[in-house]
Amino acid sequence: MTIALELPDIMPYLRMGGRTPDDALAARIGELREKALAEVRPARTWRRMAIPQAWLDESKALSIRLEGCREAYLACGTLGAAFDAYHRRISVRSGADALIVQAIGAAAIEKVMDGIEDAIRAELAPGESLVARYSPGYADFPLAEQRTLLGLIDAPRRVGVTLTDSLLMAPSKSVSAVIGVRKENQA
Amino acid sequence: MTPKALAKLPLFLDGAMGTQLQAKGLQPGETPELWNLTRPADVRNVHKAYFVAGADAVYTNTFGANSAKYHGDAPLADVIAAGVALAKEAAGGGLVALDVGPTGRLLKPSGDFEFDAAYDAFAEQIAIGAKAGADFVAVETMSDAYELKAAVLAAKENCDLPVLATVALGNDGKLLTGADVDCVAAILEGLHADAIGLNCGFGPDRMLPFVERLATATSLPIAVKPNAGLPTVVDGRTVFTVGPDDFSRDVAALVDAGASIVGGCCGTTPAHIAALRSAIKGRSDNAARHACRRTVVTSGSRAVEIPLDDSIIIGERINPTGKKRLKAALSEGDTAYILREAVSQAESGAHVLDVNVGVPGLDEPAVLEATVQAVQSVTDLPLQLDTSDPAALERAMRRYNGKPLVNSVNGKEESLSAVLPLVAKYGGVVVALTLDESGIPPTAEGRLAIARKILERGSEYGLKPEDFLVDVLCLAVSAEAQSGNVILESLRRVRAELGCRTCLGVSNISFGLPARPLLNAAFYTMALEAGLSAGIVNPLSAEMMSAYHAFRALTARDAQCSGWTSFAPSVAQQSVVSSTPAARSAKGAAPGGDAKPGTHLFEAIRRGLKADAATEAKAMVAGGTDALDIINGSIVPALEVVGKGFEGGTVFLPQLLMAADAAGAAFEVVKAAFPAQQGAAKGPIVMATVKGDIHDIGKNICRALLENYGFRVIDLGRDVPPEKILEAARREKAKMVGLSALMTTTVGAMAETIELFHKELPSCKVAVGGAVLTADFATKISADFYTKDAMELVRLAEREFR
Repeated sequence: MTIALELPDIMPYLRMGGRTPDDALAARIGELREKALAEVRPARTWRRMAIPQAWLDESKALSIRLEGCREAYLACGTLGAAFDAYHRRISVRSGADALIVQAIGAAAIEKVMDGIEDAIRAELAPGESLVARYSPGYADFPLAEQRTLLGLIDAPRRVGVTLTDSLLMAPSKSVSAVIGVRKENQA
Repeated sequence: MTPKALAKLPLFLDGAMGTQLQAKGLQPGETPELWNLTRPADVRNVHKAYFVAGADAVYTNTFGANSAKYHGDAPLADVIAAGVALAKEAAGGGLVALDVGPTGRLLKPSGDFEFDAAYDAFAEQIAIGAKAGADFVAVETMSDAYELKAAVLAAKENCDLPVLATVALGNDGKLLTGADVDCVAAILEGLHADAIGLNCGFGPDRMLPFVERLATATSLPIAVKPNAGLPTVVDGRTVFTVGPDDFSRDVAALVDAGASIVGGCCGTTPAHIAALRSAIKGRSDNAARHACRRTVVTSGSRAVEIPLDDSIIIGERINPTGKKRLKAALSEGDTAYILREAVSQAESGAHVLDVNVGVPGLDEPAVLEATVQAVQSVTDLPLQLDTSDPAALERAMRRYNGKPLVNSVNGKEESLSAVLPLVAKYGGVVVALTLDESGIPPTAEGRLAIARKILERGSEYGLKPEDFLVDVLCLAVSAEAQSGNVILESLRRVRAELGCRTCLGVSNISFGLPARPLLNAAFYTMALEAGLSAGIVNPLSAEMMSAYHAFRALTARDAQCSGWTSFAPSVAQQSVVSSTPAARSAKGAAPGGDAKPGTHLFEAIRRGLKADAATEAKAMVAGGTDALDIINGSIVPALEVVGKGFEGGTVFLPQLLMAADAAGAAFEVVKAAFPAQQGAAKGPIVMATVKGDIHDIGKNICRALLENYGFRVIDLGRDVPPEKILEAARREKAKMVGLSALMTTTVGAMAETIELFHKELPSCKVAVGGAVLTADFATKISADFYTKDAMELVRLAEREFR
C-alpha cells in the first residue's frame, strides 16, 4: 500500500489558517515528503463484531454515534515504528523539519484510515453503510477502553500497535476506531 | 533436562495453538492461556493431535503468559506450570517447548517500556516454565530486535535449556522496528541462541527468499513455522486458506533452502503437520551448514558487515578527548549536542559511531548507558562502545540494542579476563589493541605477537578471528619516525598472517605537526591500500572522506563509482563557499548589488533559507566582518522581524522555525570562525517532556527557538521523572525550567513535577506548555508561567533573564 500526499493534504496540519505556503516552505515540504513517506510502513487491521454492551453503557456519546447499529468494525492503522525513528532523527537538527514531518505523518495516517474505511466498505453487504468513526478518548468514551479495543483486534501482534502505561499509542502515528455498521431497514 | 533437545535434525514442530482454540470457542479478546486452567482437556487435545500427526515437539499454550501482557484472574505461575504440564501429559516421549511470545509492549525509544522490565517479565516466565519441566525454550513471533534480545538473554540467564528463537517478518522482510534477516542472525548468534528462524508473518511460499538469505547469514540450525498463507477475511472472520498439501510442498522448498526445524503457525492444523511429515520424511539434515566467517555488527535495525577486502568508517566525534564542547555537554547532561554530533556523522557517511564518555568525575557506567540509549534513539547506525571500564562496558553491552563493536581489549591479563567474557556473553566484535604490560611494541612483529595472543585467549571463550578487529595502534610520526612504516607493515601482516580484520585511529599519526588534515588524509589512503578494514576518522572532514571515496573508486570497490559520484557534490559545494560573494555578484542575484553588508544574510534568515544563510555568513566572515556585527547586524534583527510577524499573525509557526533554523546555521558559522568570541549564552533553561509522555515535538520546537535566541538549553528529553528534572535544575543552578505534556493522561506528572520544584527548589520558576494545557489549568496546577507557544516562551525567557 503506497500513500500519496499532496500539499493540500499536509497544510491543515501546519495550522496556517488556510494560507498558502511561501516558496521556501513549499520546497521544504516537498523535499521532506519524499523522505518521510519512504519511512512509512503502513499496517492495518480490523474485525467486525457485535458492539460491546459495556461501551454503550459507559458512553452516551458512543451510543448516540452508534444509534441504529448492531455491529461495528473495530479498526487500527499505523505508520509504523520506523516513521517515529525518522521523526526523532530529523528533530535533532531542525525544529521546522520536525514540525513539517509531524504534519506529513498526521496527513499520512489519515490516508491510512481512509483506506481502511474504503476496504471495509467493500466488505459490506447490500444495504449496509458505515457511520463516522469514533475512538476511545472522544467525549465520554473512556481512553482506558483503548486497551479493550486493541485487545479485541489483537493489534500488538497484527500491526504492532501497543499502549504505554499512560495509554498513548506506540508507534505514535497510530489511530484506532470504532466504525458502526448501519442497515437500511434498521431504525 | 534434555540439553540436546535440538540436536536431532530434522525436527518437526507443531502447528497453530491460537487458531485451534478459536475453533473450540475461544473468543476475541479472551486470554487463551487461561484455558490451561479452565479447559485443560481442550488444550491437551490440541497437543495430542499434533503428536499423533507426527510432531517431535509441541509449544506450550503460554505465548502471552508473561507479566507484562497477562492480565488474567488466575496466578501467572499456575497458568505457566499448567501449560507445561498439559503438554507433557500429551507428549509421551516427545519434546515440550516453553512458548515465549512478545510482551505486547513497545520498548523505548518508540514506546515507554524499559528493556529491564521486558527482561524481568521473560525471566519470570522462563524460570517457571523450566522448573515445570520444559525441554527447550521457544522464543517466537518477535517483531522487535530489542525485545528479542531481552527474551533470549532472559532464557540464557534463567535456565540451562536450549533456546530456539524465531521472528515474524513483515512483507518487506523486516521486523516492525526495522531489522532484516542479517541483523537478526548477527544478534542471535552473538547471544548464543541454539537455533534461529522465522515464524508467522506469511505463508511458506513468501518465506523462501528470507530463508535463503538466512542460510548465508548463520551457521546455526534454521527453524521455520509459517502461517497457512495470508489471512483473508470471509464473512467478517479471519481465515487462512493454504491447505496441507500446498503447505507441505512449500515448506519442503524451505528445507531445500536450509531449514531443518519445521512446523506451522497461524491457521495450520494437525493435518498440515501430518502432510509436512510425509513430505519431508526420510530426509536427513541435508542443509550443508557452512561456517559463517562474516564480521557483522548491528543496531536494532541495521547490520553493517566489516569486509575483509573493503573498508568502513567509524565516526570518531563522540569522544571527549581534546574536545572541550563535548566534555561540557557530557558534564551538563546536554544530550541534544551529542545527538547532533551523531546525526551529522551519520549524514556524512559514517557506518559505525564511536561512543566514548570518559570525562573525569562522571559516573561512567551510568553516563555511557544513557548516552548509548540516547544516540540509538536518533540513528540506526551500529555503535562502538568505547570504554576502559569493564563495569561501564557490561552495563552498556547489556542494554545496547543490537550487536555492538567493543573498544577495546588489549594484551594485558587484566583486560583479557575482564573484556573477553563480556564479548562472549553478549555478542559483539571487539577491537584488539596490540599493547600489553610492556607497552606498545616498536615492531610489526611485536604487535602481531600480541594480536596472536589475544586471538588465542579469545578462542578459549569461543571467540573466532572474525569476532576481532586488530588495532595496530597509531603513534605520531613526530615522535616515532618509523611509526607510519610499522603501522602499514602491521596492517598487511595482520590480514595476511592472521586472516583478521583491522582498525586504526588514523589521525593520531599527525599529532604535533602543522596542517594535520592533509597528513591524515594522505596516511589514511596509505592505510586503506595496506588493507585497513575500519578507519576511526572524522566523517565531517572533507579531506578524510575524499581519501576514503577516492580509494574505493580507484580500486574497483565502488561499483560504477556511484559512491564517489554521490559524494563529490558535497566537496564541490564546500570549495564554492569561499567564492560566494563573487559568484553572487556575477550572477547579479543580489537585488541592488550595493546593498549594505549583511542584507543578504538578513534576507536569507527572514525567508528561512538555511543553506543560503550559512553561505552568506561564511561570505561575511571571509570578507572580514566581525562576529558581533554579524550577530547584531543581521541575525538578531532578522529573527526579530520574523518573531514580530509571528506575534502579529502574518508569519506562521513553520516559517518561524525555518527562520530559526537559518539563524542557527549562521550562528554555527560564526561560532566556528570566532571560537573565542562566543558571548556568554543566557540561561540556562532546563527543558523536559514530563514522565509518561513520549510526544516531544512541542518541547523540541521550544528548545530550537530558545537556542536561536541565544539561550543555553539543557534538554533532558522525554518521559523524564520529576526527580531527574529537579536534579538537573539544581546542578545547573537554573532559574527556569520548561515542562511540556501533550496528553491529559500525563498532565498529572506535570503537576507532580511542579509540586516537587516548589517544595525543593522554590527559586526556580516553572513554565509549562502543551496541547492540552490552558492558562487556567496551568494556574490550577500552580505553574509559575504558562506560554501558549514557543515565541511566547522566548519572550518570557527574555524578560526573566534580562
